[in-house]
Parts: sequence; structure tokens; C-alpha cells
Amino acid sequence: MLNKILQWLLIFALQVVVFNHLDFSSYLVPQVFILILITLPLHLSKINQILIAFGIGLLADMFVSTPGIHASACLSLIVLRMFLFSRLDLKEQQSNRMFFNVKNVGISMFFYSAIILVVFYHLYVFGLESIGAINWVSLLLTTLFSSTLSLLAIGSIQYISYGRQSE
Amino acid sequence: MQRLLAFIEQNLFIILVVILQAVCAFLIFSFNPYQQASFSNSAAKLTANTNKISNDVTDYLDLKTQNQLLQSQLANQFKSTGQGTLHYLNDTFVVRDTAFSKPLFSLAPAQVVYNSVHKADNIFIINKGLNHGINKNMGVISSEGIAGIVLNSNANFSTVMSMLNTNMNITPSINGEEYFTELIWNNESPYCLKIKNINKLEEIKVGDLVTTGKSSLLFPSGIPIGNVSSLKKKNNSQYFDTDVKLSTNFRALEYVYVVINHHKEELDLMIENVE
Repeated sequence: MLNKILQWLLIFALQVVVFNHLDFSSYLVPQVFILILITLPLHLSKINQILIAFGIGLLADMFVSTPGIHASACLSLIVLRMFLFSRLDLKEQQSNRMFFNVKNVGISMFFYSAIILVVFYHLYVFGLESIGAINWVSLLLTTLFSSTLSLLAIGSIQYISYGRQSE
Repeated sequence: MQRLLAFIEQNLFIILVVILQAVCAFLIFSFNPYQQASFSNSAAKLTANTNKISNDVTDYLDLKTQNQLLQSQLANQFKSTGQGTLHYLNDTFVVRDTAFSKPLFSLAPAQVVYNSVHKADNIFIINKGLNHGINKNMGVISSEGIAGIVLNSNANFSTVMSMLNTNMNITPSINGEEYFTELIWNNESPYCLKIKNINKLEEIKVGDLVTTGKSSLLFPSGIPIGNVSSLKKKNNSQYFDTDVKLSTNFRALEYVYVVINHHKEELDLMIENVE
């Protein structure tokens, strides 16, 4: 569990130090830290999941000075995650108190869920940020590029963490 | 109480999400300048639109009362001005009757409950009768001009001969000058009357104002009838063929005033004695 917490801290630090400061393009604003929420243990109660999501969201907001935006997005993400997982066959993993990662649920199920959650999160955050003057083309392009980069980063982290172990 | 607690327990997760989302919304619209401005702008628009709808509805519901108020104010204005002066609503005309130190005429407001314009002899019925001091042979005007003459009254209603009646015959005054001719309706347009027998030598032109004159005790002089709309010189005749466009729109007649002459009997008697 300590390893897991250290891993989450590392992911969050990566977000704050690296991904929040990518200045290649205004279309590239990846939110990799949501991997923490995606990979939360499957046996956690709904209330705990919500409180963790809200806390992490507020923490993320502190580093980019957008009070409430990431907190709201994280809350919505965790609710979507619950809905999505209720439709997947994860009873075995839940009863074994496992985390949701590539190793435990398989690569297809992990990325099927991750793609939906990552795209949803980026669309939600960029939508909230552009309230009042939504440019749909810009919003969709930013979501597309940032989600792709985030998924690549998430895939890499999962590979580094579990790919080598399986080898 | 137990059921309420059970409900809260069952739905605690949803309640918590809603509360936390509300906190987020508060944070977003309070501490993010752009979102705050956007929210204030939308809220101001929503408030303005809501107020406008509310005002429109209130105004509409109050319209009948306002109309009655306006009518009685106009009637009072006529009564209270020392020289019996009626300022028309559109401020176009001022009717003066300076012959009497106290007003000769007063007005009783009424509403039209029946109106015909498509017959040869049109009438309309108003919601005032003998109980309100209305009697036959009283003039009726609208806020635009002349409307008709009361034919008969019962307790609560009166029948009025409209200007659009072939039996109507009024002596007009053109540009303030009396012309002893006849103003009649020839059963054609509900917007036009004809003046018979105006000599070609008279200096009148299209657009001249046609009003009531002093040869009638039913109306104060100067009540608008209309404007000369056509002036044709007929061959082999010494008279103009004159059309007058009515100032009162009889198709939309709604509120009228009955002209009450307080000294009609005395004046009738005097005129009878002279004749």
C-alpha cells in the first residue's frame, strides 16, 4: 500500500512539474494525474471514492489556480467510473480487494475504461474553462490531442509498473 | 423521521455528490474571474428577461383597469376645464366651447358591446343607459372623433346610430367655417363619408379638417369628423364631389363617450320660440 501511495505521489508530482508546463502547443494540456482516480482500489466504498476524488481535484486546482474546476471534473469522473464499472464483470477483483490496473483487469478492459474516462475528463475540464465563449473546434481539438497524450502517458506508466513485472 | 433517515442513508452517496458539486460551482463562479463574469452576465440577462415577462403579464392583466381609469380621467378633464375644453388623447385637436362660463357639456364614458359596420344602417350598443343618465338624442364621440347619436336607451344599455348609417345627417364645419351642407354615408366604405353640395367656389382643399359645427346641440363644436380625402369637380355641376376620411375607426370601436348637454331642453325651447 505504501508503494501505491508513493506511486500516486509520483504521478501527481509528474503532473504538477512536467505536464502542467508543456509549452509545445495550446492544444496540449494533458491531465495524467487522473490515473490515480482510475486505478483506485475496486473495493473502496462510494463515499470514500467521492471524498478522495474531491480532495485530489481541489489539490489539482491549487496548482493551476482554477478553484473548483478540477474538483468538479474529478467528482463527475468518479461517478462515471462507478457507472462504468457496474457494467463490467469485476466481482472477482472486488472481492480480492484489487486495484484497477492493467495487471488485474487485463489490457483491453483497462484501456476500454481509461479511454472513456480520460476523454470525458478532458472534455469536461476544457468545457468548464471556456464557459461563456465556447469555441467548439478548439475545444474538440484540445480534448483530442490532450487525451491522446494523457493516454500515452498512462499506458507508459502502466507498462513501467506492470509490464516489466509480467516479463 | 425514521423513513427520512433511511432515505438519507440510502442516498447518501447521491446527496454527497450534489453537495460537493454545489461547492465546486460556488468555487468556479466565485474565484475564477472569467467564469464569474460570464455567470454575472447570464444572471443579469435572465433577471432582465424574467422582469420583462413579469411586467408584461402584470401590465396586460391591468389593462382593463387602466382603460377605465383613462376614460374617466378624460371625461373629468372635459368637465373640470373652465371653458369646456377637450384635449384629445393624441394631442392633435383641441375643442373649445367658450360660450359658457361653466361647461355646457360633460362626458360619460362607455364601452361598446355590439357594433356593426357592414350593413346599410349600422348601429352600435353601449353599456350605459337610463340608469347612468344616458338618454336618446345624445351625441357619442370616441377618443378619435365623432361616433354617433343615441337612438334609444333602456336601463343599462343604449343603441347608438353609427356615422355609418344612411339616416345619419350632420352639418359639418370645414376648417372652422360652417357650411350648411349635408354629411352623409352612402353605404360604400366604412372609412369614408360624403359631403353634398359644396360649391366649387368655396376655398377648400384635400386634407382640410372637417369637424362638428355650432348648428347642433348634440356635440360641442370642433369635434373631429375627419379630413377631406378627395375633391372632384363634376362636369355640368356647380358642386364638388367631396369625400371625407373618417377620423374614427369604426371597425375597432371599443371605448366611447356620451356627450351630455346639460341645457339642451332650455336651448331647444329658445330655438323653437325663435323659429
